[in-house]
Amino acid sequence: MSPRIRRSARPFPPDETLPEPARPPGLVLDAQLHLLDRQTLDVDGVPVSTVDDLEIGPHESTALHGSDTVHVTGLLYGPVSVTRVFGGRPPASRLHRVDWRHVTDVGTTIRLGVHGDSLDVLWLERWVRDRVIGRIPGGRHDPR
Amino acid sequence: MILGDLLDSPVVDPAGRALGFVVDVRLVLDGPVEGLLAAPRVHGLLVSPRTRTSFLGYERTGVRAPALLARYLRWRHRGSFLVHWTDVDVASAEGVALVEGYRRWSPAMFGAAHQRP
Amino acid sequence: MKRLLGVALGILTAIGGFLDIGDLVTNAVVGSRFGLTLAWAVLVGVVGICLFAQMSGRVAAVSGRATFEIIRERLGPRTAGANLVASFLINLLTLTAEVGGIALALQLASSVEPRLWIPVAALAVWLVIWRTKFTIMENVTGLVGLSLVVFAVAVFQLGPDWSALAEQALSPTVPAQEGGASYWYYAIALFGAAMTPYEVFFFSSGAREERWTAKDIAESRLNVMVGFPFGGVLSVAIAACGAIVFLPQAIEVSSLSQIVLPVALAGGKLALAVVIVGIVAATFGAALETGLSSGYTLAQYFGWSWGKFRRPAQAARFHLSMIIAMLVAVAVLMTSVDPIRVTEFSVVFSAVALPLTYLPILLVANDPEYMGEHVNGRATNALGLVYLVVIVVASVAAIPLMIVTGAGS
Repeated sequence: MSPRIRRSARPFPPDETLPEPARPPGLVLDAQLHLLDRQTLDVDGVPVSTVDDLEIGPHESTALHGSDTVHVTGLLYGPVSVTRVFGGRPPASRLHRVDWRHVTDVGTTIRLGVHGDSLDVLWLERWVRDRVIGRIPGGRHDPR
Repeated sequence: MILGDLLDSPVVDPAGRALGFVVDVRLVLDGPVEGLLAAPRVHGLLVSPRTRTSFLGYERTGVRAPALLARYLRWRHRGSFLVHWTDVDVASAEGVALVEGYRRWSPAMFGAAHQRP
Repeated sequence: MKRLLGVALGILTAIGGFLDIGDLVTNAVVGSRFGLTLAWAVLVGVVGICLFAQMSGRVAAVSGRATFEIIRERLGPRTAGANLVASFLINLLTLTAEVGGIALALQLASSVEPRLWIPVAALAVWLVIWRTKFTIMENVTGLVGLSLVVFAVAVFQLGPDWSALAEQALSPTVPAQEGGASYWYYAIALFGAAMTPYEVFFFSSGAREERWTAKDIAESRLNVMVGFPFGGVLSVAIAACGAIVFLPQAIEVSSLSQIVLPVALAGGKLALAVVIVGIVAATFGAALETGLSSGYTLAQYFGWSWGKFRRPAQAARFHLSMIIAMLVAVAVLMTSVDPIRVTEFSVVFSAVALPLTYLPILLVANDPEYMGEHVNGRATNALGLVYLVVIVVASVAAIPLMIVTGAGS
């Protein structure tokens, strides 16, 4: 059973109606619901990767304070599949970062305003293309 | 800091009482505009008595179909609430501590589905 | 003709889904042991796959998101990762079986040892995946696969006792010489065969390959309503052939050559030639479907560039993963393993993949953020929830039944 607060230890009655907060101006997103695990597309609509995590606040900070204004500074991509299953996190050097300023739209996918070729996160795609697929006859043939 | 470290971390009130776990982070795009979109500002944290992050958000978005599933998932996360970022004292991978006098708000998102063109 | 070609995706998905080598044999085995008393299981499965394929096709057309992308978004990386492992293994096992099946079918035609055909078959499948346009691939395989209709023709030609067949189908009882556990094991196997997850992966990715938009929802529906029932009818026809020819003498069916016997009895050498062509096309189509699904599931989970509409150099990891899958399939087959037994193990992984595939589809089909005004209606949701329960029950019962009955033997 995943960790949870036991019913007897719940601090508040579960069915109370809470007041609705004031609506802030600007687009409202929930990170897990709308940003994490979403497909990222580059400016031409070519897939880049799925968003694995987000960087918030100053780079390499370990704690944040509510008295500071904190922003999402970048999208993170990396080999998180194994660590999500077994715990822990890949070291920061293995996580590729895309600055938030490259994001042009957030919908069912996240669109960037730059070409995939300029992004580090696609290095493996380029490597496979150059070393393997590009070497097989017909690899660069346009199917249309 | 990595946002994923905050997810599923425990939330305690100033007295040290366990309130739940962070299941999501509410962002508002009203920060400085560097590219095309404003930078998302951390507006609040969504706290729920359960972890295993409510991947479906039924308790927030008001989507009510399919009826039985929506009701079951909403029931599972009843007792979820939103706290504003200003009510947070410290947030780290070890957990989140709230300040004295924090307020709890309904976790609902405003017409989320219709906000986007 | 254009109308007919317009439903090629649906027909190919159905053929690859429940007329592949494993299911051809299973249907014949079921007919030879249970007659038509399990026809209801095929019906339940066909209705289910029509429902979910239509939903996933609509989601892909309206939102541009293929099914495994949605699975990761909705379930999160951990649970979706479990689904990925299970689905990838199903794909790999089935791909192995299909390439083996092509070799077996070619052996029927040529009497050349299957092991010599295996590399040829694998190379042919890979070349089509590598080079051929998606529409050409689906049209040719779908059209040629239609020749499997000779099974239905054979049922009529064999002049069966129609009232006996009807009685088996309409008031099903467990036959005297079979056990209840075997009956339900095969019921789940037939249901699972109709609802194998790679069918929705392939259909929704195919919708993206064909660039369907919201305007093409009607075409998507037509594909589903023509293709899957067609597959279901042929499944029942194969079982009927088995019921007519093998059941009365309690002959055990285990090989491909036995399956085509009723057709040969009914229509002679010409019918036999047609059915062999049909089986080669069906197994080839299934190999394409599972091969491409291996690529689609991996690429969509990790967010790689994918699609046959892109040049291979622009979808490099997608194509590399399919090449590796083909090589593994050939390596396994060269150990002379029986391709048909291989498919029996995919039932185990289906048990995991089935609920984890269909739940996200049902959820996203209701989400106005993805679907706008094209969300599910109440009837669709009600039916979807009922089927979700059936799927969970089937997936939970599959493995215990498999163990108890020794995979149906």
